[in-house]
Order: sequence, then C-alpha cells, then structure tokens
Amino acid sequence: MVLSIAALLLIALCALPVIYMIGVSLTGADGALNLDNYSRLFSEVRQRGLFLNSLLLAASASLLATAIGAPLGLLLARADLPAKRWLRILLVIPLIIPPYVMGLAWIYMGGSSGIIARVMGRDFLSPLTYSLTGAVIVLAVCFYPLSMLATEAAARRVDASLEESALIVAAPHRVLRRITLPLIAPSVATAALIIFVLAVSEFGAPGLLRVPVFTTEVFTAFSALYDFGAATALAVPLLALALMAGITARLIAGERSLAGRGARNRGARNRGARNRGARNRGARNRSPLSFRRQHAAVAAAIALGAFVILPLAALALEVGRAERALSALQSSIEAITNSLLLASAGATLSVVAGLLLGYGRARMRRRASWMVDLSLIVAFAVPSTVIGVGLIGLWNRPGLIGEIYGSRLIIVIAYLARLIPVSALILAASARQVPAALEEAAEVAGAKWMSVFARIVIPQMRAGIVAAWVVSFILAFGELGATVLVAPPGQATLPVHIYTLIANAPSGEVAALALMQSTVVITLLALFAIFVRREKRFRS
Amino acid sequence: MNDSFLRLVNVVKRFGQREVIRNLSLEVAEGEVLALLGPSGCGKTTTLRIIAGLESPDEGEVWIAGRKVAAQGVNLYPPRTRRVGFVFQSLALWPHLTVAGNLDFVLASLSVARGEREARITEALRMARIESFASSYPDQLSGGEQQRAALARAIVARPGLLLLDEPMSSLDTELKDDLISEISRLQKQLGVTTIYITHDRAEAAALAHRVAILREGRVESIEEMASP
Repeated sequence: MVLSIAALLLIALCALPVIYMIGVSLTGADGALNLDNYSRLFSEVRQRGLFLNSLLLAASASLLATAIGAPLGLLLARADLPAKRWLRILLVIPLIIPPYVMGLAWIYMGGSSGIIARVMGRDFLSPLTYSLTGAVIVLAVCFYPLSMLATEAAARRVDASLEESALIVAAPHRVLRRITLPLIAPSVATAALIIFVLAVSEFGAPGLLRVPVFTTEVFTAFSALYDFGAATALAVPLLALALMAGITARLIAGERSLAGRGARNRGARNRGARNRGARNRGARNRSPLSFRRQHAAVAAAIALGAFVILPLAALALEVGRAERALSALQSSIEAITNSLLLASAGATLSVVAGLLLGYGRARMRRRASWMVDLSLIVAFAVPSTVIGVGLIGLWNRPGLIGEIYGSRLIIVIAYLARLIPVSALILAASARQVPAALEEAAEVAGAKWMSVFARIVIPQMRAGIVAAWVVSFILAFGELGATVLVAPPGQATLPVHIYTLIANAPSGEVAALALMQSTVVITLLALFAIFVRREKRFRS
Repeated sequence: MNDSFLRLVNVVKRFGQREVIRNLSLEVAEGEVLALLGPSGCGKTTTLRIIAGLESPDEGEVWIAGRKVAAQGVNLYPPRTRRVGFVFQSLALWPHLTVAGNLDFVLASLSVARGEREARITEALRMARIESFASSYPDQLSGGEQQRAALARAIVARPGLLLLDEPMSSLDTELKDDLISEISRLQKQLGVTTIYITHDRAEAAALAHRVAILREGRVESIEEMASP
C-alpha cells in the first residue's frame, strides 16, 4: 500500500513531466499529431552543431574527470597518506559545489587581475574562459570526485592476495597494470558513464560559459523564444542520450564486478580461515602495492591546490573587501533563507519517498528490480531544464494546480523530481544491508509491518538515511536548471538569484554569494563526515 | 650446515608492538618437504610470507639457494627474483584471466619467450590434472579444481621453492586425501623443496619428511617422519 503510493509519487513527479514533453513534442500548433518539431530539429545545421557540442562536452569532461579521479582514487586506496580521511573529504568538495559556482571561479581566475595572472605573472586563461575547453575543464573538476570515490571503493575491494600472488612473479608496476587495473576497470567505466550523463544534463556551467548545448538551448527556446514545441523536441535527443548511458551503466554494474568476484569466492570458501587469521588481519589486508609516500603526498597536494583551494581562492579574491560581502549577503537574505527552507523540505520529502521506494526495491525479486534500477537511473539522468519545461507545461493551468504552480511549492516539486531517484538509489543500497531475517524475526514475534518498518528497519538504515538527506540537500541547494524555469516571481532561490545577478551586478557581489553557497554545502559535508566517524566508532 | 637450500637465521618480525616471529631459525634441505604445524596465530603464515619476500624480517637473515635474500629488516631480493611458487590460502586466482591466462601471466612476467610458454603451460596443467579447464575462468571451477589450478600456477615457472599456505583448509575430507596424494606425487616428480603450512597433523604426516611445530613465533620442536 504505502509502497504503491511512493511509486505513484515517483511516476507523478518524475515521469509525468517527461512523458508530457514527449507528447507535446509530437504535436503541432493545431494540436494534431505530427513530426514538425522534429523535422525542424534535424533539418537545421545548428541542431547538429548542438548535438556535437553536447556530445563533445560530455565525453571530454567524462574522460578528463576519469583521468583526474581514477589516479586519485588509487592513491587514496593504496598510498600511505597523512590524514587520509580529511584529505578524501577535501577532495570531494568540488562535487558538492554547484557547477555554475565552479564556472564563476573559472571566470574569475582569468583576466589581468585574476588569480592566475597574480600567481603566474601572466594571464593564460582569458582566451579560454568562454569556450568549450573551459566548460570541459569546469565540469571535469566538478565531477572527478565521483570517479575518485568509485575507483577507491573498487580498489579496496580487490583482495590483497590477488596482488600478492602476482608480486611473487612480477614487478609492482606490472601488477598494477595487468592485475589491479583490469579488476577495477568496470567500476571506473561505470563512474565515467555516470559522469557523462551528468555532464550531458548539466545546464549551469555551459550556460555561464556561453557554450551552446542542448540543455541551454531548451532553456533559450523556452524562456527567450517561448517556443514550447521546439523546447520539447530538443529535450528528446537529450533523453535518448541519458537513456542509453543509463542502460549501459546498469549493464556494466550488473555484470558482477570482477574485483568482488574474487573476494566473494574467497569469502564463502574461507570464512573459517579468515576468522582464524583475524588477529593478523590488520597487517595482512594492507595491499602490497603502496605508492611512495612522498610522491603520493605531492600528487594529493597538487590536486587539492588546483581543484579545491584555487577555485575557492579565486572566488574569495573576487569578493575583495569584507564589507562588500556583508552587503551582498544582506541584500540577498531572502533568497538565502528561501533556499535553506526549500532545500530542507525537498530533501526531507525525497528521503521519505526514497525510503519507501528503496526498501521496496531491496526486497524485490531479481528480474523486476532490474527495471526499477534502470528507471531510477534514467529518471536521475533527465536534464533539469527538461524537467523544468515539463513541469511548466503540466502545472501552469487554471485552478488549484495553478495556485500550486504560482507558489513556492512548485520549487519543492521540481526538487523532488530531481531528488527522489537519487534518494531511492542510495536507500535501496542501504536497505539491502539490512538482513531480511531481522524483519522475519519481528514478524514471527507478531509485530505489524508498519511497526517492523519503523522500529527494526529504519534504525538499521540510519546512516543511509542521513547520507541520502545530505546528498539531496546538497543537490537541491545548488539546483539551477529546473528552478530557474519554474520559480515564481519574487521567490528566487539562491542559485537563481546568483544566476540573474551575474549579468547585472558587480562581480564582487556575485562572488560573495557564490562563496556563501559553497560555505553552506562544505559545512554540511564536514558535519556529515563527523557523523560518519561517530557512527563507525559506535559500531566498533 | 650451509648446504641447506633454505635457511632462516634468528628471524624476528613485529607488527606494531606485537612480536609475531620470535627468533625463529629453520633449515630445509634441497628436495625436502617440511610441514609447519601449529595453532592459529603462531606465525606460520608470516614465516612463509617472509620466505617469499612479501614481508621483510625486522631482524635476522633469510638465505635461499646460497643467496642472502633478506637481512636486518631489508629485503635484498624482491619476491620475483626468489624463484618461489606460492599457493595462497585464498588461492588468489586472478578472476579476470582464464586458468591458462593465469599461468601465462606468471611466465610472461618472468620473460619466458612466447613460443616456449604454451608448452610449459600445457605441461603444468597436465601435471596438476587440470588441462581440460585451461580456458575456463576461475569462478567456473569447483573448489578442488581451483586448488589444482592454483597448484599449476605455482609450479609453471619451475620454482626452486614451493610454498603452500594451508591450501586445503576449505576442502572436504575426501577431496583433501585426493589432493594430498596429488601434491605428494607432484613434489616427487619435480623434486622441488617444499614448505607446507597446516594445522592438521594427519595432513602434515602424510606429506612431509619433517614436521616443525610452531608456537608463539618460534620452533618448538622438529619431528622426523617415517618416509611419507
């Protein structure tokens, strides 16, 4: 019952706008079914350019992000680095800062008074600032942490004895190349695909850097030209790209990961042996392939400097004097509180819906679960501007629906459309960790489903629930593409406020707000890190 | 004294504060099979890993075939130059390579010419009686077949020293007896010096010329076995 309500909610919020848009894209101005929008789409040279741009931007960003993230992930998994836990958290920061903020930092870096000119003595960046290359770099910096985290997790799953048995006959670099890398390749590839999807769907950064891609074109077609048909037709190739990447990612992830395979074999066969060796475990699970400490530390420091400190410093430098920052914050206090409030509401609701969906997904039969995973991944891949336009088409009508559309509620609805799939995926993973036997035991004891869920399942999923809330809040707090389209007049969120200020306010003010935006999410990340640490101690 | 093939002299190994190996000395003659027997945590596996070069001893020396391979906390020769074959407790077959691929990686790593590899692989697979699974992946094999594959991988490079770390710990009794005679046959055929770790006295007796009993990081006693 409860589960089907959650599923209906998902369909209503995430799927309907998309279905609606596909429908509209197929009808002409007179309401009859035709393909005019598409024939326009394919006949114009400009559209082909757009398609190429989108593809080029996403593919290059994904490759570059992997080139940065995968080595860092290996370092985190294998190198003996000081304060590794905090280093990892610091290196994740670019992921939680919205891409348009990273784009702003990129813009401010160049110029004769930019940080690059000050540090290097010459301005190298300006010719690149507003270019495809610039957008590729910005998105790669935003998304490399995904590749880093995925690579690290995969490398940690590789059983140390698989590398040791290779070291018996081969040099370390050969072991890394021929044994470790093939074992973690599926995870690295999946992360690259997810980055590709995120980059295809990204609106803020290419919009800011004036790189024409599908997402920005949807926005322009709709908000500048009021061409609803064109906007919807533009969305369809985007959806197709997202769908393809989603299916591929699901296929790779579904193929039991090689690294896990080795470990699983061993786990099943040697559990007894493992327990016997438990006392030595600390020493033995350490991988034999560790990098030189100094080299690893230098590499990590460079990454930290280039991808975290430099962008934040560029923003801070642009703000200049403190009074300016204060006045900027004061004049935007409404947008800030609005954002905090709406993002909290969106995150909370998405966790509630995600909890039910994720739990349902975790307890599902295998075959149906494949479909659910795929639809969640695809729903997450739907570009934000597409959701925005779809929501407008659906909700902008007279009566009660129009009342909702005219209020802040529509922003929460837009958030939910983006967030529920993410929450559900995170919480499905978390629910899978809860042994079904625990629930069965409670049911045998005579407990009702609701009370089993509330008192047995939810407490076990605490860490997952907090994680899903944090991720949802961070995504909502930085959401731009959908909000910029649906936000009612006078109800701008912080990202929308910043985005509109960029064109008509001094850059110092914009930078102050962008910095403020970053501070909120970084603080939340730090709190989350502390929570995770406590949780771990609590368990052990 | 010095003609023993493997010699450990006063070896000490610590993990943090804990001394796992305390002043352990051991000699093994060429072609001999020595079983290391002892309860869990007595330092059997660590001893084997020190011999292979996967750990370095904090004190003492390790000699293999007349070469000092480790001394005073430093590995003078990395594992790949020590000519050892190692069967891990977890077997550690590389899951992304076929059985033949597993063996090929070993030979290729040791720069055996491409033309020669195939014959060597076939020979090793035949000796371990696993030749019909050459192109299978490890997770398609049963427990006993995986064991044989791991054994084939350990002998394919014709090592001077074969190190077996409780390779049967997970097999049921029947399979165990089979494999013990298999290992015994292989060892005789190759004449390779072998160290075999186990916590099962019967297994040790069935296989070894001598059994060293380890307790708390040192050799407590050595027993000569009647011919295995």
